[in-house]
Amino acid sequence: MENKPSGSPTSLVDQLVVPGDVVLDLNSMTNQTIKLGGGLRQDCDAIAVTKAGKLRCTKPNKYWVESSQKRYEPHPGDSVLGIVVDSKADNFLVDIKGPALAYLPVLAFEGGTRRNIPKFEVGTLIYVRVVKANPGMNPELSCTDASGKAAEFGQLKDGYMFESSTGLSRTLLSSPTCPVLDALGKKLSFEIAVGLNGRVWVNATSPSTVIVVANAIMNSESLSAVQQRIMVEKLLQNLKLST
Amino acid sequence: MKEEGEREVVTPGEVLGKASDVRAGRGAYLAPHNNLVYASLTGFRRALSPSPDSPDQRPTVEITDHKAHGAVPEPGSIVIARVTKVMAKMASADIMCVGPKSVREKFSGIIRQQDVRATEIDKVDMHLSFRPGDIVKAIVLSLGDARAYYLSTAKNELGVVSAESTAGATMVPISWTEMQCPLTAQIEHRKVAKIGG
Repeated sequence: MENKPSGSPTSLVDQLVVPGDVVLDLNSMTNQTIKLGGGLRQDCDAIAVTKAGKLRCTKPNKYWVESSQKRYEPHPGDSVLGIVVDSKADNFLVDIKGPALAYLPVLAFEGGTRRNIPKFEVGTLIYVRVVKANPGMNPELSCTDASGKAAEFGQLKDGYMFESSTGLSRTLLSSPTCPVLDALGKKLSFEIAVGLNGRVWVNATSPSTVIVVANAIMNSESLSAVQQRIMVEKLLQNLKLST
Repeated sequence: MKEEGEREVVTPGEVLGKASDVRAGRGAYLAPHNNLVYASLTGFRRALSPSPDSPDQRPTVEITDHKAHGAVPEPGSIVIARVTKVMAKMASADIMCVGPKSVREKFSGIIRQQDVRATEIDKVDMHLSFRPGDIVKAIVLSLGDARAYYLSTAKNELGVVSAESTAGATMVPISWTEMQCPLTAQIEHRKVAKIGG
């Protein structure tokens, strides 16, 4: 059965699309600039989907496919949690769950000079920002934000790190605050760092708090907002009963 | 007894003759301590008759048909290479042709960030100059280190000669920094070589 290209762009928006679906037919839209995000490809005159997910669009002309997966594709501007794998003369080699190891230049810290190079051992967990991610090249990272300030980037000490899907990471970072974090934050005090590469780090004063927060986040991926609140209530009751 | 037309294979170290009978040509050398001519390459031996008016009437023996007869990059020669890997400060390339001749074995070359172009060499972005799979024309700067020759594209007529776009079509050059895909009209950045006058 042939898949007819849709003339109007709104027919497939917010719907599940699979690779091969033709989303837009450029012949019917003249003199418009369209911005394509991830998951879409231009095939001569048609825009085709390359990744399964939900097609999203914002006015006036941005289209992209949102999907959640375990694999991370590095993108400039993302904040990720990396694990130091090796240190060389000019940069640290950091694993960010992408297709290639990333380089973190030794001087990419606030006030970083040749004299005060941080000593990261192998296995150190760090919160970094992706600066460059060209296809075929190793991504480049930095421990400062775009203006050069430290801004919470750097080594994450203590705490517990677990892996999640990229979709869950994006939900945890969305604003307004995602329901599970909101409900947990009302009763418990903890600190959390979310990496867009599917890694989450939680730290709190008592280990039971850390475990409750981690379990709540891991279970919340497929639940709706109301179900998330109910689940958090149950977990907090169990926590109170055991202490 | 050697027959007519049969070619004899020699290996390095084999004696080709006495210095009084033959002269050492390409692939052979004269050992001074015992005046014998030895082969230094593996190949077929060939005897060249001397020119009739030269004072030295010894035939020249040389070794032919060995692999190193293919072209070898020398400093200053123009080579055609295919980019294999692009990194932050340099790009690796496999040398395919030296001048008009293709090579018989694999030679590796490196184009460093400071050798990509002649102006503003510390602001060069390697990703905007080369991509893996591009065919580039470069000049050999030096024999480099043990791993690779050092190449340079720092001239107008050196740089990317042919490149494929992400859509899979061969791109058309539009300026010395841009090439355009004919299928999708997308512009990609390369350090383009100026072909022609």
